[in-house]
Amino acid sequence: MRFSIFQESRKGGREANQDRTSYAYTRDALLMVVADGMGGHLHGEVASQIAAQLLTEAFQREAKPKLADPSGFLQKSITDAHFALGDYAKARSLIESPRTTCVACVVQDSTAYWAHVGDSRLYHVRQGRIQAQTRDHSRVQMLVDQGRVREEAVAAHPDRNKIFNCIGANALPQVELSKPTRLREDDTLILCTDGVWGPLTGNLIAGALLKSDLMKAVPALLDLAEVRGGADSDNLSVVAMTWAETHPGAIAGEVSTRTLKRDGVTTQLEDFSKADHSDLTDEEIENAIEEIRAAIRKHTPQKRS
Amino acid sequence: MPQQANQPLPDGYQLENYRIASVLSCGGFSIVYLAYDENDQPVAIKEYLPSQLALRNEGDALPSISEENLATFRYGMRCFFEEGRSLARLSHPNVVRVLNFFRANETVYMVMRYERGRTLQEHIRARRGTIKERFIRHVFTLLLNGLREVHSNKLLHLDIKPANIYIRNDSTPVLIDFGAARQTLVQEGQRLSPMYTPGFAPPEQYKNRELLGPWSDCYAIGASIFACLASAAPQAADDRSEKDRYVSATKVWNGKYSRQLLETIDWCLELDHMKRPQSVFALQKVLLREKDPEVHRAISILESVRSALMKRLGR
Repeated sequence: MRFSIFQESRKGGREANQDRTSYAYTRDALLMVVADGMGGHLHGEVASQIAAQLLTEAFQREAKPKLADPSGFLQKSITDAHFALGDYAKARSLIESPRTTCVACVVQDSTAYWAHVGDSRLYHVRQGRIQAQTRDHSRVQMLVDQGRVREEAVAAHPDRNKIFNCIGANALPQVELSKPTRLREDDTLILCTDGVWGPLTGNLIAGALLKSDLMKAVPALLDLAEVRGGADSDNLSVVAMTWAETHPGAIAGEVSTRTLKRDGVTTQLEDFSKADHSDLTDEEIENAIEEIRAAIRKHTPQKRS
Repeated sequence: MPQQANQPLPDGYQLENYRIASVLSCGGFSIVYLAYDENDQPVAIKEYLPSQLALRNEGDALPSISEENLATFRYGMRCFFEEGRSLARLSHPNVVRVLNFFRANETVYMVMRYERGRTLQEHIRARRGTIKERFIRHVFTLLLNGLREVHSNKLLHLDIKPANIYIRNDSTPVLIDFGAARQTLVQEGQRLSPMYTPGFAPPEQYKNRELLGPWSDCYAIGASIFACLASAAPQAADDRSEKDRYVSATKVWNGKYSRQLLETIDWCLELDHMKRPQSVFALQKVLLREKDPEVHRAISILESVRSALMKRLGR
């Protein structure tokens, strides 16, 4: 396999970065993951971290060097992440599970398989045009589908953050799977959080890739989204990959997996130790204290009268 | 870094529903007070106040924290929360009980049950080399009950040492100070260095922290028993990894303590974590397997009666 790949996650104007990105590849398969922990809920960054880590670890175990069933893999590991978040909440007596969106994509045999839950997106771009994109599991997307809101108005809509499907909620996540999609030379897959797609349009994203290569185009798109997002810009995260099966050496930042051993796995996961720890807000302090008090109440034997 | 002394809250200070009576201990990370609640019951209150980052001057309640230290101060607060979270879930007669947790004076406080007695460290100092095997077996058997509860909650204590083992006046032990306990998911910060006490911490706590496990607390248990005999900690594990000068307990105290107790110490203090007891249960089995098993059966029966009573009394 040959491809070039780029990943970046920015805090934007927020106090904490609750997004996580990761990718991993073997000689014959590639996994990319973007997750956006939900800030309104406790431990958003824990949720996205667990999801990204769990998918990546499952890939490391199962891609030997290919996955037997990529769609099945995505379905199962996203569901596993849901249960892992439930366990995490239970172990800490949290009132509710931490929650996250997730979009993940496997590429093997020149074919892409993707899955998503929530409003983190995947765009499949071919020659400057959007070939396919995921449909957000959000209230505002429903309104677009019903023709009640125009696509361009989504970013400014008051309900834009309301999603009805995520990992870690009470209900099981409904994992939406793509059809297997054959990739052509120079096709690009972009996985990103709403901090990136919100302030931009699909056409702008696709068009940027025509003008320069991935390694320059994607950081420039992040810059633009961050500027447009303003002082209160959301976290911005992206993993983008351009497929280069046949003409080697033509693109910057290229990865060739031919030299990898059959069972070798390379992983790039942004982890907690790299994330900044300075992000304990007043609200988080209050939440932590409330959580501890709830645990004390739960584990204190009741006095008998 | 030199430690600056922090001014504790003055005696008589009213902190929420608690009246501060005196300072119990003062460490680099926190101050522990004896206080009385609204029913005049004694409690121990731990105040998060790392002296490197937050300085309280005489006469002030609020500490002053410089702008550049604020982020690290709040990061340390996370660790304090971790301790609170760990302890809140544990309800065991041999583990310190958290009663309340609150925010005041721009920092956070943890209220714990106050226990009467002294630390094993103070006990060792007072008894210098005259501690009997029966006392050791009794204290550590009960303590390991508490530690089992800790481990079954997927927590490691990681700072077990005589100063963190409190002996009540009825000579039952309580495991205190979970400041170093972390869940595996939470990684170390960059500026607050990981906590360990030389001599009691296993080699994997200095480096290879991914190897930490129940066997790491077992090392510290072995070192603490060693300290009961030697009145001093064994050679620090990082030193031992360089040049091991540890002399087998079976040689040093041959004839003074049972061979089995001495072998248990040596077993716990293996540098290779795989060679140590892999669980508290494995260690407890050995401590209980003694010439006279009746004594310990009696103790464990007494213990279960005691904890049943405690539950009834709602303690």
